Amino acid sequence: MTVLASLVAIVSLCWGSALVADQGTQASAYARESRTRYGETSPSTHTVVMEGTSFQPADLKISVGDTVVWVNKDPFPHTATSKNGEFDSKEIAEGKSWENTFKTKGDFAYVCTLHPPMKGTLKVE
Amino acid sequence: MKRLAILVAALVCLPVSNAFAQAVTDAQIAHIVVTANQVDIDAGKLAASMGTHADVKKFGQQMVTDHTGVNKQASDLAAKLKLTPEDNATSKSLKAGGEKNIANLKTLKGAAFDKAYIDNEVKYHQAVLDAMDKTLIPDATNADLKALLTKVRPAFVAHLEHAKQLQATLAKTN
Repeated sequence: MTVLASLVAIVSLCWGSALVADQGTQASAYARESRTRYGETSPSTHTVVMEGTSFQPADLKISVGDTVVWVNKDPFPHTATSKNGEFDSKEIAEGKSWENTFKTKGDFAYVCTLHPPMKGTLKVE
Repeated sequence: MKRLAILVAALVCLPVSNAFAQAVTDAQIAHIVVTANQVDIDAGKLAASMGTHADVKKFGQQMVTDHTGVNKQASDLAAKLKLTPEDNATSKSLKAGGEKNIANLKTLKGAAFDKAYIDNEVKYHQAVLDAMDKTLIPDATNADLKALLTKVRPAFVAHLEHAKQLQATLAKTN
């Protein structure tokens, strides 16, 4: 019984710290794990870094209501522009970022219009 | 037998090592990078003002922006590493080629200017990429310098593809 109690305590602790971590603006791989005790998904923020003329990660899966922040770490501008017109960051200057909250489900292929070989995909579930 | 194998290996490798005999130092690489960017900035400025096709003008302006950004990063790194860029034969040849290109472009107008500028951009980015792959990246000894070159390489690939697309567009409209 004491073992069970300790286990419950450890799980709760981990859960608690994960939730706290998710409150930060920095999205991480853990962001997707952010769920309430009732199994509902709370909105998360994910980061896509634009560096070396590539999107990192190039492929990202998020939930409806989540926000994606594109951060440009290259010394020149980039864009995140979906092929179907769903979103377009326009030029994001060196060191700047742009964010968008996704309210509808869908699969979006996007590019940097300034550097067409720079491609990414976003899946909103 | 073992000695012969070594001798054969040495002979086989000889022509390859000769091709890369002109090893460059980090100080020379820094100079080549800055010069290569500057050459494309100068041509881009000219295209932004003298180009006719809107996409050509836009591309010229983007070359100014992108290569200025890379140059700032390269200059900052050189300063951080206390590396004084050192002039060399490759830089001199890049500079002379760039000046020749500008002189030629200034004699042209309209569609002829656009075509000559874009044709040269395709050739130039291809040549710079070849130099990066064969000499600059493999010869760079400082890890930060090598990392910078590796990180900007995809942008030059993108520029080359973009220039090729424009070349095809111009061929259709003319």
